[in-house]
Amino acid sequence: MHAEPILKVENVVKKFGEVTALDGVSINVNRGEIVCFLGPSGCGKTTLLRVIGGFYEQEAGDVTLDGALINGIPPEKRDTVMFFQNYALFPHMTVYENVTYGLRVRRVPREAMKKQAGEILALIQLDGMEDRFPNQLSGGQQQRVALARALILNPKLLLLDEPLSNLDAKLRSYMREEIIKIRENLNLTIIFVTHDQEEAMSIADKIAVMRCGLIEQIGRPVDIYRYPESTYVANFVGSANFLKATVTGSDQSGSVEIDTHMGSLKMTAPRKEYSTGAKVVAVIRPESIGVSFEDSSNSSKSLKGEILRGSYLGSQMIYTIRVREETITVNLSDPGEEQIKKAGDTVYLTLPEYIHLIDAAKAGEFFD
Amino acid sequence: MVQSSQAVPAVAKRKRSYFARKPLQSFLALAIGVMLVLFIVIPILFVLVRSFGGADGFTLDYYRNFFARPYYYRALINSLTLATTVTSILVVFCFMYAYIVARLPRGIIATAMRSIAMLPLLAPPFIFSISLITLGGRRGLISQVLANLFGIEFSIYGWTGVILAQCIGLFPLGFMMLENVLRSMDLNLEEASADMGAGQWRTLWSVTIPLMMPGIMKAALLVFIKSIADFATPMVIGRGLPFLATDAYLLVVGQHNMEMAAVLATFLIMPTMLIFFVQNYVLKDKARTTIGGQAGGTARIKMNPLMKGLFILCSFISALFIVSAFGVVFWSAFVVIPGVNNTFTLAHFSTRTGVQALVTSLKIATSAAFFIAFVAMIQAYLNLRLKVPGSKIKEYLALFGMGVPGTVIGIGFILTFNQQPFKLTGTMFIIVMAIMCQYLGVSLEAGISKLHQIGPSMEEASWDMGASKAMTFFRVVLPLMGSSFLYGLIFTFMSAMTTISAVIFLVYPGTTLAAVYILQVAEQGAIARAAAMSVVLITIVALSLFILNRFTARTHLSRL
Repeated sequence: MHAEPILKVENVVKKFGEVTALDGVSINVNRGEIVCFLGPSGCGKTTLLRVIGGFYEQEAGDVTLDGALINGIPPEKRDTVMFFQNYALFPHMTVYENVTYGLRVRRVPREAMKKQAGEILALIQLDGMEDRFPNQLSGGQQQRVALARALILNPKLLLLDEPLSNLDAKLRSYMREEIIKIRENLNLTIIFVTHDQEEAMSIADKIAVMRCGLIEQIGRPVDIYRYPESTYVANFVGSANFLKATVTGSDQSGSVEIDTHMGSLKMTAPRKEYSTGAKVVAVIRPESIGVSFEDSSNSSKSLKGEILRGSYLGSQMIYTIRVREETITVNLSDPGEEQIKKAGDTVYLTLPEYIHLIDAAKAGEFFD
Repeated sequence: MVQSSQAVPAVAKRKRSYFARKPLQSFLALAIGVMLVLFIVIPILFVLVRSFGGADGFTLDYYRNFFARPYYYRALINSLTLATTVTSILVVFCFMYAYIVARLPRGIIATAMRSIAMLPLLAPPFIFSISLITLGGRRGLISQVLANLFGIEFSIYGWTGVILAQCIGLFPLGFMMLENVLRSMDLNLEEASADMGAGQWRTLWSVTIPLMMPGIMKAALLVFIKSIADFATPMVIGRGLPFLATDAYLLVVGQHNMEMAAVLATFLIMPTMLIFFVQNYVLKDKARTTIGGQAGGTARIKMNPLMKGLFILCSFISALFIVSAFGVVFWSAFVVIPGVNNTFTLAHFSTRTGVQALVTSLKIATSAAFFIAFVAMIQAYLNLRLKVPGSKIKEYLALFGMGVPGTVIGIGFILTFNQQPFKLTGTMFIIVMAIMCQYLGVSLEAGISKLHQIGPSMEEASWDMGASKAMTFFRVVLPLMGSSFLYGLIFTFMSAMTTISAVIFLVYPGTTLAAVYILQVAEQGAIARAAAMSVVLITIVALSLFILNRFTARTHLSRL
């Protein structure tokens, strides 16, 4: 449906001695997209980024950038620019020298260089700081210099290695806006790596969740969050209640009935067809469960439970609740005083209409 | 209560003297201070004063004399030329060697290359002139081949020999410094440069080398000082060329012309003073640290083939020189006449004087090593943790002593301690002090940087639980500083076994040291005997190094 993807990674394998860091990874990135590699440390996300940037050479597989195969081409000859986690600003050069480094390497005439640098420094609001050295800048300014240094080369692909991890909360949200703004202004294709799901959700068009050198799932943030294909993914992008279940029936209208330790549950519109007897895990996000403290018994879906623990966090109340043989977590947002209950109190829960199911095969830890 | 008891009395008792409040650490600080002044400051002052006439009244005659006699000022010019040449060669070659070693994947090749680069540390630096004479002397192997095949008359004596021998002897110094700097570099910076399109030469030139500049300068300065201070190499292989250090020695030993020797020594010490100033005031502001985040990047970018080829070639040539210099020493030690009669023999080893010298060396090196390592740890602790007044000055003094050419220290010691009230010449004690003067700085630096690493919280915990300062030092600090203590111990021992420049002035008849003995024998032309003795010395130093390494590997000390 789209034009040829700007980046194609096919079956890339990268080993460090005995350790396999990438185990045959494939991914396509379309022009103008922001794609995020998300995963815990050691999952291979940075390795994949560095393979794309040319800092590591893969043992097998192909990397194609804008239609050209770039296997084995060193970073200096690749049209990709990396933004390093520690910025890697040259401490012995001024802001101007840092930013224009790539242009000087390319022997751009002085005047043109000045003009370009002026534009990019204005874009990231660092004009007037040209003659400072990096250690005279604040962390946020250093980061923007690093960004300017990368952007001035107008790369086909901008690679960001944990771009927000060194920043405090305020700078983080500022930088997030900055990245999104830059993408809109320059129509760049951006790949970034992070272990922070919120960061990934807020910036990325597409998220690739990685695990043990493989991409576990790739999709829009909403796909990853609402329709995780494995318990690993569901767990990584937020907290979830996992209910071990067996499918007991389905009908033509598309609703499915499952049997759990909380009893029999019925829900609508599953994303797949399930045959009776199939082992599944139901994923229910804690914030999707309705809580009430009076028995509004007209709802047949209402479940009675007992509070085991409650933690008040200000913006939300987190309850651990026992429903029959199951213990589940429920988040109640913006709790009022009357909603703060103590252990032993009775609550009534309403489950969401749609409940996501994961095949037993993708939920290893629950069925072993 | 426990926490405040530290601060409150300090204010309340301000009127009492520091000494009364903290007798033990005051005493230690004072003792070390007196020692440093007595054995570093005073001897050097004596040299300066003597060059201006000393007790006979102020005069510039000796300096006038120095510049009037071409022989003397030639010595100054030669020394500067030699040091500049050796420094330039070594900075370039050591850089390439260190670059290859630091960027090579860890493994047998990297380890082997590093060990080769360090080999010359095991021997007195002048013994490489012995190997060079064996190879390129008048009847040397290479000279004969050249004469027979091409009719070229080749002689290693003179400039070629001095430069080459110093390059081999001082190689570890330059290499260690540069490797250290290269290893602490943030590889991300080089990657960023490559990423923005810079080729490897460009990256080397505009990122790597500028960032390493303070380290390169430091290495160059150290090599320069050591080259100027080396008097033994020109003596063995210089064939009468005048050099400052060599002639200062000859003036003292041969002519007893202490005034002129003091003038030469003053010129010898000037580069050190200059360098010390540059290091502490000029370079300090330029020290650049990596900014933002932690130093990162462990990736190894492939070197471009041309650069890799050139670097490996130069490293190989360096390694070849070092290994063959060592090989020739061993070979000459075990054959009758190298190249002429290659029959195996142990005859060169049978020397009673040599064995006696060796025993003396061992005694002195062991006592010096323990004494210096201990003093260094105590001084580091007083300096960094207890903040005893005057500590910074003492640190500077120790570092300064490290840079003063041994010849100057030797002459200063003779001038100071050959008469009452400090008649100390002819004792082992004075030799240990001369070694302290030259090498305390190294151990002290190691101790200080270790203490920086440890952080004060553990000592605070110890005080908090009621231990005294002294108890804390022995039970907590010293064990934690174990590795740097051992480093100081090993380093001082090795240096004391192989040092020559200061101690040669202080040995007395019947108690010569191994390194001094080797030089004397070599100077008399008994190359084989000198080689044999060198082999024994090298073996002992290598063995002690090995044993200590083993020891540290087995105990918990290695984990510190």
